[in-house]
Amino acid sequence: MNILVACKIIPDDQDIQIAGDGSLDFSKAHQIVSEYDLNAIEFAAQLGEATGSSVKAISVGAAAADDSKVKKNILSRGVDELFLTADDAATDLDSAATAAELAKLANAADGYDLIVVGTGSADFYAKQVGVHLAAKLDVPYVSGVTKATVNGSTVSCTRVLENVVENVDVPLPCVVSILPDAALPRIAGMKDILAAGKKPMNVSAAEGVAAPAVSTVSLAAPAAVDRKCEVFEDIDSFVAAVKAAL
Amino acid sequence: MKAFVIAENEGAARELCAGARTVADSVVLCVVGAPAITGVADVCVHIDVPAGNIADDAYLSVKSAFDAQGADCIIAENALRPLSLVGRLTAALGTAAIAGATEINGTQASTMYFGGAGVRTANAEAIPAFIVGSGVFDGSAATGTDTVEELAFQAPANAVTKQGEEALPKADINLAAADAIVACGRGFSDEADLQLARDLAAKLGAEVGCSRPLAEGVDWFPKEAYIGVSGAVVSPKTYVACGISGQMQHMVGCNGSEVVIAVNKDKNAPIFKQCDYGFVGDLKEALPALTAAL
Ligand SMILES: Cc1cc2nc3c(=O)[nH]c(=O)nc-3n(C[C@H](O)[C@H](O)[C@H](O)COP(=O)(O)OP(=O)(O)OC[C@H]3O[C@@H](n4cnc5c(N)ncnc54)[C@H](O)[C@@H]3O)c2cc1C
Ligand SMILES: Nc1ncnc2c1ncn2[C@@H]1O[C@H](COP(=O)(O)O)[C@@H](O)[C@H]1O
Repeated sequence: MNILVACKIIPDDQDIQIAGDGSLDFSKAHQIVSEYDLNAIEFAAQLGEATGSSVKAISVGAAAADDSKVKKNILSRGVDELFLTADDAATDLDSAATAAELAKLANAADGYDLIVVGTGSADFYAKQVGVHLAAKLDVPYVSGVTKATVNGSTVSCTRVLENVVENVDVPLPCVVSILPDAALPRIAGMKDILAAGKKPMNVSAAEGVAAPAVSTVSLAAPAAVDRKCEVFEDIDSFVAAVKAAL
Repeated sequence: MKAFVIAENEGAARELCAGARTVADSVVLCVVGAPAITGVADVCVHIDVPAGNIADDAYLSVKSAFDAQGADCIIAENALRPLSLVGRLTAALGTAAIAGATEINGTQASTMYFGGAGVRTANAEAIPAFIVGSGVFDGSAATGTDTVEELAFQAPANAVTKQGEEALPKADINLAAADAIVACGRGFSDEADLQLARDLAAKLGAEVGCSRPLAEGVDWFPKEAYIGVSGAVVSPKTYVACGISGQMQHMVGCNGSEVVIAVNKDKNAPIFKQCDYGFVGDLKEALPALTAAL
């Protein structure tokens, strides 16, 4: 079986600087894997081990996403091969355009039976790319997945919705979006990271990116909330200040 | 202008339909796999889902409802099944939804970027579609008719089969109504220490909540208890953050609090720039001291 996992490479929000004019400066930010996509990678890797399947990662991002540390990070987590479109023409894509690019990679990856996506990307957190990818490939989609077992031509999933748990059989090929609870990311060892450097990394430029249906008009830091910021290292003064305030 | 609202919970349907009325003069509510909801829209299109199917697979029916109604804007609830349906609908229409809309203005909406590190305004070129969380619109303003139009569920060729389902127990927690909240973060290394937070909460008449990691991975709290961009957004009089670093994704959920008190052993923790009163030190020292003094 071929398992794909979609993971987004983004700037680390800890490194975002706020410029004097309130704009966001990403120029000093490290590239990282979107937090909850690490869970998706782990989930795919474990399912790959359980079913003796290949596990390939697919990702679409800006030119900066072609970062050797991040690529090795992905490949050190039980992933066999990486397919990455890294191009500044692929920044700020909406969910439909992102899914269209991921669909191209899914086909380039030599077939797919199960595509795993994360619960949501750290920048947009739209929870939309997975279902758009399913629509593009005309395959079933289920979200909220915490468990999956493959039985022949279907995958049986437990999905945790807001108020109910559903047990479903999903015909392959399909796209499943997992909850972070489904698998906790492993800590890759030195050996895994070294081995990752030798795994196939297919990085390409974007071609024929669809015109976005949604685009950014403005982006700025939020207005800061005014707080007193009285910080104490002495417990008695702290308790006294709190007592006076409440 | 006609708005097409996709919602499954009554509270969300109220809020979204009331919000839809502020941008459209006619509102159609589409409810899939849940009882029809009336009194909030001009028409409720109701799609019943057979026991062996999932609501997410009703997308062909939803698309025909949308086409038949001739709506020109879409608003969807931020819940998993409506998210699947709005995704399929926008894909079929050649567009994409603007998620996490906190304010709608014609074809544009303001949204959170990186969990609140930025505020992004996005514009939809074609039919605008917005995903809206709870609390953005005022549900008490909802008005509507009793008109319900039933529409048959049309299964896609590769339909998902539902084998069974089990209702989740309702969590016994009401953060929205709380006057005070004691919030616990990863600074709690031991589940037993949560008692320190509960003791303080009992003194303050507070609810106990948490950061997302304590409701996920470790199951120390139910999902309903976490505060933040993807959880509950609260604005109590008093918010005590214990062992919480102060990441944006958490803080956007509690920035509306009147007084924010923080306990963290790291003096460089970002929370100290976003609180009124802070204590640099161990929560195991600070919480009992506060409990004893108040
Ligand atoms: C898309 C997305 C959505 C998210 N949504 C949310 C959300 O809605 N809500 C949310 O909370 N998070 C959310 N997160 C996660 C968020 O980014 C942070 O990871 C999370 O808030 C951190 O939780 P924390 O502060 O408890 O843990 P940490 O960041 O690990 O902080 C623990 C703190 O405890 C302190 N500490 C340790 N020991 C002690 C002690 N003995 N006494 C006192 N202090 C101590 C440490 O100094 C540290 O500052 C989201 C992330 C993403 C990517
Ligand atoms: N640019 C991307 N590259 C790879 N995977 C992505 C990308 N964008 C989104 N995804 C996947 O789709 C999921 C949902 O993303 P979103 O709809 O942006 O919240 C993420 O958790 C990823 O698994």
